[in-house]
Amino acid sequence: MTKRDETRAFFSRAIEENMDALFGVALRLTRSGADAEDLVAEAVIKAWSAINTLEDRKRFRPWMFRILRNCSISQYRKQSVRPAESRYEDGDDDELASLLNQQPDNFLTWWANPEREFFNDVLGETIMSEIERLPEAFRMTIILINVEGLTYDEAAEVLDIPTGTVRSRMKRGRTLLQKALWEQAKEAGLSSDCLNEIQR
Amino acid sequence: MKTKDSHNHDIGCLQAIEAFYAYLDGEIEDPKSIEEFEHHMRHCRSCYSRADVERLLTQRIAESARAKAPEMLQDRLRALMDKFE
Repeated sequence: MTKRDETRAFFSRAIEENMDALFGVALRLTRSGADAEDLVAEAVIKAWSAINTLEDRKRFRPWMFRILRNCSISQYRKQSVRPAESRYEDGDDDELASLLNQQPDNFLTWWANPEREFFNDVLGETIMSEIERLPEAFRMTIILINVEGLTYDEAAEVLDIPTGTVRSRMKRGRTLLQKALWEQAKEAGLSSDCLNEIQR
Repeated sequence: MKTKDSHNHDIGCLQAIEAFYAYLDGEIEDPKSIEEFEHHMRHCRSCYSRADVERLLTQRIAESARAKAPEMLQDRLRALMDKFE
């Protein structure tokens, strides 16, 4: 077997193992099944043409996700469509406190003492639709780390940001997600007992 | 919510909250920081309860967001890779 054959075998195996993950991330980037499929196909072609730039095969996943994300950015540029602007920029301040200070008091009371049952009652599809509504920066960080199991360093490589920013986005993204779920639950009456306690 | 018997192991709730996600995501490597966080968790019911909920939410996110590549995409990628030289 030539070196090229061995590289091709490695690449095919790695793509096979990561098809679901690549499609999942592409789906979060494009929000459309058909566009996600095209994006993955384009990324696989680009990745193969750049396979010699993969220095450490153990880092295939962050390398591949980064190519996928770059393809997505190129698509946006071509179509002159920009992702929704974030209402929550990455500030210099890495303190969770600054974000919490912007939240209503009853959310903070609940946040400090949440009901475990609340998260059992919230439907998976509600969690997903609220993740979809998060600004892209937070959505992708949560997906890469909590769904695809990347480390903070690997997510930083994919998103081309410092690891400290990944840490900050996780805290902010997760807090925003919880606030959105809390508001959903309030509307659906899921958390009425908890809210009654808080408002008493 | 520091306990009365807290000593130099102890960190405050805000510091513990700051470290929540890094701890739960296995991102804290310094043994002293891990010990400080775990010590706080053993002594603060509120933070313990929050960490418990964070674990549950992480699990729910992972379960809810996992996607399956459609068969058509799988076939398309295999056909593409067959042509790679």
